[in-house]
Amino acid sequence: MTKRLYDLAFGRSGDKGDIANISIIARDSAAYRTLKTHLTAERVHDYFGDMVRGEVIRYELDNIEALNFVLHGALDGGGTRSLRIDGLGKSLAGALLYMEWDE
Amino acid sequence: MTYRIGSAQGFYGDDVTRALPMIEGGHVDVICFEALAELTLAILQKDRLQDPSRGYTFDLNIIASKILPGAFERKIPLITNGGGLNPAGAAQMVKATAEKLGLDGVKIAAVSGDDMLGRLDELQAGGADLAHMESGKPFAPESYWANANVYLGALPIVEALQAGADIVITGRVADPCLYLAPLIAHYGWAWDDWDKLASGIVCGHLLECTGQVVGGNSLAAMEDGIEAEDLPHLGYPIAHVEADGAFTITKTPDAPGIVTVNTVKEQLLYEVHDPANYITPDVVADFTTLALEQTAPDHVRVTGVSGKPRPQKLKLNLGRVEGYMRELIFTVGWPDAWHKVNQLKTMIERSWDGLSIKRIAYDYMGMNSLYGSIAPLPDDPLEVIVRVMFTANDENTLSKAVRRMMNNGLSGPAGMSISGTTISAKPRIILGLWPTLIGRDLVTPSVDYLEVSL
Repeated sequence: MTKRLYDLAFGRSGDKGDIANISIIARDSAAYRTLKTHLTAERVHDYFGDMVRGEVIRYELDNIEALNFVLHGALDGGGTRSLRIDGLGKSLAGALLYMEWDE
Repeated sequence: MTYRIGSAQGFYGDDVTRALPMIEGGHVDVICFEALAELTLAILQKDRLQDPSRGYTFDLNIIASKILPGAFERKIPLITNGGGLNPAGAAQMVKATAEKLGLDGVKIAAVSGDDMLGRLDELQAGGADLAHMESGKPFAPESYWANANVYLGALPIVEALQAGADIVITGRVADPCLYLAPLIAHYGWAWDDWDKLASGIVCGHLLECTGQVVGGNSLAAMEDGIEAEDLPHLGYPIAHVEADGAFTITKTPDAPGIVTVNTVKEQLLYEVHDPANYITPDVVADFTTLALEQTAPDHVRVTGVSGKPRPQKLKLNLGRVEGYMRELIFTVGWPDAWHKVNQLKTMIERSWDGLSIKRIAYDYMGMNSLYGSIAPLPDDPLEVIVRVMFTANDENTLSKAVRRMMNNGLSGPAGMSISGTTISAKPRIILGLWPTLIGRDLVTPSVDYLEVSL
């Protein structure tokens, strides 16, 4: 079976204007170390492709073994303007957790 | 002894009656209701334009008639930002309701000072450039703004609680500050005791989305086996806060739900950008020093939050109506479904020649409507559901667009169908938000009181 990011982590996503954030919460310390090394902001940006128009910033929380990704221009203008059915980005965490993972 | 905060509202439309078991069970010392998302105020402006006595959330009627009587009897103050654009009008409504219910002596506080719509010229004259805080774009004074509200902090709520208010009604107050306020009022925390204030902010942030920390919208809770029949009845969250700021998140006892370290982690980062600098009017909270511990089933203790001095500027959010959007849903099936989709798109766009449709967006539900280009499209699908979104500056243009498409009902690609409920649906308003920063010296909140005397 294909290994996916969801095997190492879970998370949640939400919105602020046209910015979405996705938390990626490691399932254990080993997973967190792997994610910190390999799940870079660039990799996340490449993965989302044209869905994210602006920059992607990654924040690290060693204390709770989680990463927080902030995706600028990710919501087609934001919840009040977006023509997407999920203009609030609630499903974006699932999109990222679907990423194939071979590290 | 800890001080116990209940949270019974996380958005305009939440089930505020989840406050009842908190009150009747004697589980809380105060209850907060957070009603204002970024766009809620612009929606309330529509109500206020139709009737100047409105402009507050309808949920406040339920709070006044169903929650206030029991809370008043047990001396549990209620705090809500559901006053929206009209906290004074909301206070009048609550007073009239309390009089009808015979609640002699109820003291109602209305917080004002967040509404800047009438002061935009004055703010600019006073040196605020009102530039967009993210893009840096200059402010366009000729734009029509429906609302302009600055995010207030905890101060006016603290004042109202110390004056003995039974219900405090505000407009735009930063969400977690609603929850910080009763802690400052109860424990007397100093306004520069940054670590304690930050702890109160984290507590508020964890509580402010009600169901989301007790099993709602949660992969962690799903993996722990939360039952579907429990989701509509979750016991909303309660925090037990200690004098030094440490606190325990739990839920309404004997009600469904689940609180684990993992549900708390999910909510901790919900709608957060830089977790080391979570900016609020009262303090900048740092989430990267805290520790979480499961101390008992459905009890998670949070310690070690640190804080930094409050910002010198406050966030002001302006909202305006930018147009309207409509949705139509079409279905096509095998054979040659993609060819039919292309024919449908061309047909739609030719039908709308001469109409000022501003934007058109298509997606295929069940294929790429959530995950966009991440999801590969099948080569020869059995069915395709085409969702068409389109916008215009006015509602009439959208109605014309729908009628023109309906005229094609018997002339479309083979087997095409249209979802009837989307034909009769109403347009949705498109709101533009303009977040900016202004000096806190330009903002002076005030509190007015009404008292029921029978």
